Amino acid sequence: MKKIYFNNAATSYPKAPGVAEKVRESLSCIPFHPGRSGSKADDPMDRCRVLLAEMLGIDDKNRIILTVNSTYALNFALFGFPFRKNDTVITSAAEHNSVLRPLHHLMRSGDLHPEIIPVDSGGRIIPSEYFKKLELLKPRMVVLNHASNVTGAVADVKPLFKAAKDLGAVTLLDASQSMGSISFTAESLYADMVAFTGHKSLLGPPGTGGIYVSKNVELEPVIVGGTGIRSDLLYQPEDMPTRLEAGTPSLPAFSGLAEALEWKKKNREDYSGADVLIKKLEEGIQDIAGINSIKSESPRTPVISFTLKKWSVEEAAYILQESFGIICRSGLHCAPLIHKYLGTAPHGTVRFSLSPFSTEVEVAYALEALRKLTV
Amino acid sequence: MNYTTKKVEDCFDGSRIFEYDFDSAIDSDFIRNLGTLGKLEYFKDFPRPFFRIITKRGSQFKGVEGEKTFKAIFTRSDLEKGKEDLENKLKSLI
Repeated sequence: MKKIYFNNAATSYPKAPGVAEKVRESLSCIPFHPGRSGSKADDPMDRCRVLLAEMLGIDDKNRIILTVNSTYALNFALFGFPFRKNDTVITSAAEHNSVLRPLHHLMRSGDLHPEIIPVDSGGRIIPSEYFKKLELLKPRMVVLNHASNVTGAVADVKPLFKAAKDLGAVTLLDASQSMGSISFTAESLYADMVAFTGHKSLLGPPGTGGIYVSKNVELEPVIVGGTGIRSDLLYQPEDMPTRLEAGTPSLPAFSGLAEALEWKKKNREDYSGADVLIKKLEEGIQDIAGINSIKSESPRTPVISFTLKKWSVEEAAYILQESFGIICRSGLHCAPLIHKYLGTAPHGTVRFSLSPFSTEVEVAYALEALRKLTV
Repeated sequence: MNYTTKKVEDCFDGSRIFEYDFDSAIDSDFIRNLGTLGKLEYFKDFPRPFFRIITKRGSQFKGVEGEKTFKAIFTRSDLEKGKEDLENKLKSLI
């Protein structure tokens, strides 16, 4: 049976052209060790840093810290930040567990109080609630999701972050769902830190990600160890990015990511087709009786969530995958708080998420499958 | 026809979901026999036919004809008895 892959918000497939070959090539040659042996020209980490800095509009590539994924990046930002006892962090109900869980662990250890701002029925933070809490609580940090992994809604973070910075807060953007599908720079959004992953819209391999940390934020390293430089020191070197990058990275994976970033640089409009297709998919779903879709206005990523009257979300996703060959995702999507506001608690939604390589034929087939499911 | 079983995870607790993995594909006779454990719904018009069996105590067995696995989701109160009944049935079928 032909498979259709509509689970790109989890991990994109296929990858950018040339990525798999680069990974294989990297595994087939003598390993390069960043900072330890080999020349800079061979360093895929450096290539990634240069291309990511360019994408985010950053002058100093060394402020890009490469990690395993966004979860690690967000943990580095939250556990590495010098919070003081009883600091407040403002965040939203649209957040993923990679933000919510670190914040709650920090709350349990008594270091901070997370304040969660409600979202609307499309998954966007409610600005009036946010500004009210911002004035009242004067948080140390604001952490916001750029695009919801459940609804695809892209938050208008610029005024939110600007107001936070005006009050002296540090701003952290979770760009896991947006980096690679939405164009932005860190400065244009007033983001002090931007966490991202390589395996979603950047079209790179799993095991790659990172975080931009601006010069006005000093993070303590969460992981320390070998760096290949200043091995005489018994503490982690202070130089960035080494300060926050210990241990041998997955060079084959970063070779793949560098290739994906090169491809994206040459194909800047790669998500325009997916944007058109998600609208078609949304309109098609809205015409099917027995399906409730979460309406998400533009700007958005190519993601749509829905529930079916006749089937549980778990069952619908199972049938779509096993009977119809449509690989999608069901449940809470690791964003447990948003569903109360979408009206999809406690079981969540079925989610279709497209990529630049999704086609009209696939969308038509998915709509036909949904029609059959609702008969 | 032999099988192995394992717990599978979902978004939630997942502790009452099991996957039964057979060494050959599940066919329509097997599905109809398994269906005697409860109410069988059989969607033969799907590209690969889907089945769902709901027992009197609310546990569910579901899968796709032609696959080697199906899922069993037991209710909290039916975990032991439901699993025992299912596995006794499987013994009689294989």
